[in-house]
Amino acid sequence: MKKKVTLTVNGEEHEIEIEANRLLLQVLRDTLGLTGTKEGCSIGVCGACSVIIDGRVVSSCLTLAAACAGKKIETIEGLAEDGRLHPLQQAFIEYGGFQCGICTPGQIMAAKSLLDENPKPTEDEVKEWMSGNLCRCTGYYKILEAVMAVVNNKIDPDFAFRKREQTAKIQSLDVYKSVAKTN
Amino acid sequence: MAELTVVGKPVTRVDANEKVTGEAIYGYDLVLPNMLYGKTLFSTKAHARIKRISTEKAKAFPGVVAVVTGADVPWTHGESIKDKPFLAQGKVRFIGEPVAAVAAEDEDIAQAAVKLIEVEYEDLPVYVDPEEACKSGAVAIHEDFPKYRKVDFIVPGAHANIAEHFKLRTGDVAQGFKESDLVLEEKYFVPMIQHAAMEPHSAHAQFDKETGRLTIWVANDAPFRALHEIAEALGMPKEKIRFINPLQGGGFGSKGGLKVEPIAVALAFHTNGRPVRVKFNREETFISTLTRHEAVVYSKTGVKKDGTLMAREMTIYWGAGAYAEKSPTVCIRGSLPAPGPYRIPHVKVDGYAVYTNKPVAGSYRGYGIPQGAWAGEQQMDEIAKRLDMDAVEIRLKNIFVEGDISYWGEQLHAVGLKETLTKATEAIEWGNKPHQIKPGVKNGKGFACIQKPTRSPTTSAAGVMVNTKGDITVLAGTVEIGQGCNTILSQVAAEELKVPMAKVQMHPLDTDVIPYDASTTSSRSTYHMGNAVRRASIHAREQIMEAASPMLEAKTQDLDCVDGKVFLKDQPQMALTLGEVVRRKFGPEGVVRGDGSYTYEIGKDLDLETGHSDHASAFYMYATQAAEVEVDEDSGRIRILRMSAAHDVGKAINPLNCVAQIEGGVVMGIGSALHEEMVIDQTGKVRNPSFLDYHLVTSLDTPELISIIVECAEPEGPYGAKGLGEPGLAPTPAAIGNAVADALGIRIYDLPLKPENVYWAIQNKKKKDAA
Repeated sequence: MKKKVTLTVNGEEHEIEIEANRLLLQVLRDTLGLTGTKEGCSIGVCGACSVIIDGRVVSSCLTLAAACAGKKIETIEGLAEDGRLHPLQQAFIEYGGFQCGICTPGQIMAAKSLLDENPKPTEDEVKEWMSGNLCRCTGYYKILEAVMAVVNNKIDPDFAFRKREQTAKIQSLDVYKSVAKTN
Repeated sequence: MAELTVVGKPVTRVDANEKVTGEAIYGYDLVLPNMLYGKTLFSTKAHARIKRISTEKAKAFPGVVAVVTGADVPWTHGESIKDKPFLAQGKVRFIGEPVAAVAAEDEDIAQAAVKLIEVEYEDLPVYVDPEEACKSGAVAIHEDFPKYRKVDFIVPGAHANIAEHFKLRTGDVAQGFKESDLVLEEKYFVPMIQHAAMEPHSAHAQFDKETGRLTIWVANDAPFRALHEIAEALGMPKEKIRFINPLQGGGFGSKGGLKVEPIAVALAFHTNGRPVRVKFNREETFISTLTRHEAVVYSKTGVKKDGTLMAREMTIYWGAGAYAEKSPTVCIRGSLPAPGPYRIPHVKVDGYAVYTNKPVAGSYRGYGIPQGAWAGEQQMDEIAKRLDMDAVEIRLKNIFVEGDISYWGEQLHAVGLKETLTKATEAIEWGNKPHQIKPGVKNGKGFACIQKPTRSPTTSAAGVMVNTKGDITVLAGTVEIGQGCNTILSQVAAEELKVPMAKVQMHPLDTDVIPYDASTTSSRSTYHMGNAVRRASIHAREQIMEAASPMLEAKTQDLDCVDGKVFLKDQPQMALTLGEVVRRKFGPEGVVRGDGSYTYEIGKDLDLETGHSDHASAFYMYATQAAEVEVDEDSGRIRILRMSAAHDVGKAINPLNCVAQIEGGVVMGIGSALHEEMVIDQTGKVRNPSFLDYHLVTSLDTPELISIIVECAEPEGPYGAKGLGEPGLAPTPAAIGNAVADALGIRIYDLPLKPENVYWAIQNKKKKDAA
């Protein structure tokens, strides 16, 4: 049985007809074409499908789309405004907080929901909060650095991606000791 | 060498914007016009004959377009042993083997129809232990193994279930043990684990009857090899097949070879030209795609009192799972350096890749090195302890240094091992005893060294195009799997053409237009493709200089290039932009294209009787990692306090990327050390095929990590670079194992070091001490 539902995604209203059992993840990706929200485990463990609903981060793979009617849904696609990246998106670039990028939208949405509520979390709070978002590439260090960079306001105010040479910021660059040996 | 402008700098990644905005399109994001959805029926038996398959009900289900079984697709494939059917034929060999597939108008219909397919099995004996599977009396998992087509370096074993027997013979180990003052013999075990790339596997395929062309969209890390394997299996000319790579969401070795591709191809021949997507969910990815080899390692080592290594004998059973996949080469390239990066006069290694009725094992970041190191490096520490020697001292006495002849007969150069050893151990203050502060908690330190070869010989080719705006497009078949190759290769092109990074872009990967590349594997890309892109860039630059010479009325040797301009060396104001040169020479839409390729030629092929080769690898990667841990004696829980990882990369083309590879590798290694294992019962069923039960490392489990880049330049590498993708996780478990042994005074031989294993090891020792 199909049902008419109005979903508000990134401030835009979508009137759609869906089966009652459709998951928000499926509707975002397949019906609305918002493929920035990723599927990793399908059981609410990995966090790749994280979106923000009424200010709270949720796994869209465990959320019925029909239950989201009337709620405010935020996805990765809605973060940049007028071509200007959200500070978290910028920090993930500047601090190298991603590799393959599959978990990245979820990581950024999870971090956003934390910072929206608590703009000054401690490093341990960030570490704990982000533990619901798995990443197989980065080992998490650069993700945590990126989030903390936003917390500590250490992102470049004049950032313009690829418009000029960008050198990555590695907070702890001094511990990456480079020992050159020539033969 | 002229001063480098972009190479060596931690520039931000070129694939950043699309990845942080959600715009990046990965394999499973792709929606093709008129696309069908495929689902697969997997075997529920680990070893059984198929008595009957009935597909009528599935075919009659509304919305179903095609149902295929092994009878419809009588093809087999395999990289070095052609043993794997597209869909099971006559029998199944593991739980998770694709048996049939359905293409339908949507995924729910396809899944419902799959459930209507009936299969009747007749059970056969199930082998889940590689040692048991090759004992006399064990039935052959592949009855037709002798008839399979194999590449020429395959040496089948004495038992029908041994797909490959690798032999290394140097000196006389019996003599070596006789001359030793101490001989130690132990058995180690490494369980089957999984890559767990965050993007599950998927593939799209479409067959056009008019043109006879087959197109496959898949995030495969070796599209040219996959194309070859499909062509060979189907008996189709290669030019009739096209691979298009969407972005890849991680791989770590899991996405080379053919996994979902054969199912999508099988369906595509029965959908009347409509494209079909087959997407695995996480559980299907766990049971049906790829795993890392479980390994049983017997290691016997003889030393003199002063710590000089005399002999090492290793026997390794690599659990290949049900099909050979990359097992033969994992067996060869994992067994060859398993005795460790040491001068040893007498060495004997037997590596056996053994078929079992478990999910297929294949390439996994590290390609056999972690398994050998888990045994060899722990035994080194055990020997040091018994000789009352320092673990660093015994390594320094024996490790490979510049110019050494390895036990496989190759003279080694660009050996940065000693530097990695010194730096990694210094970083955790090796000389200072670990603090013992908390009651009931024991602290310890440990480290491990590795040496890793790369796949050789292989070829990479590349093209570099310069247009009239001076924009550079790089055509390279290296797959951006997250490792950052697009950034590295852009840096190389920017460096050689002397343009800003923002002027360089990578062409999407499509085998119809991109030059050949062997594979994005084996940490080979920076070196091989880096060389190819460098050569192609130089070729393009030379053509531009040549064209600019009459325009600037100067000889080419009097010209130079900087910041996107060609100019006279002694009159820099006499300059033309690269784009202007191209426009004047070739017109407003003109393009200059440079080409380059790089092949590392090996000397003598690996001798199949002795395992000797004078050039087994294009280069070797060296690393040492050290760990400080604390172990709770009551619970057996291990906490890593800090780790250091020193890696000889030759030359860091992008230090940010190097550090990223090290960090990601170490954390993946920590998972394999502390908790990762695929739990498989006696019936061959995976008991933990989900992220709920198969634990990955989270942000809470990351210790303090000191990443150290050592640069011991490789003369053949671009700017001196080697590779770095794989070694990050290779010494990690052994380093942690050594730290745990230091803390507890107990050696634990089996991975993972999960709390119950450590707990029982502590209890057993208490019992033994009491008795």
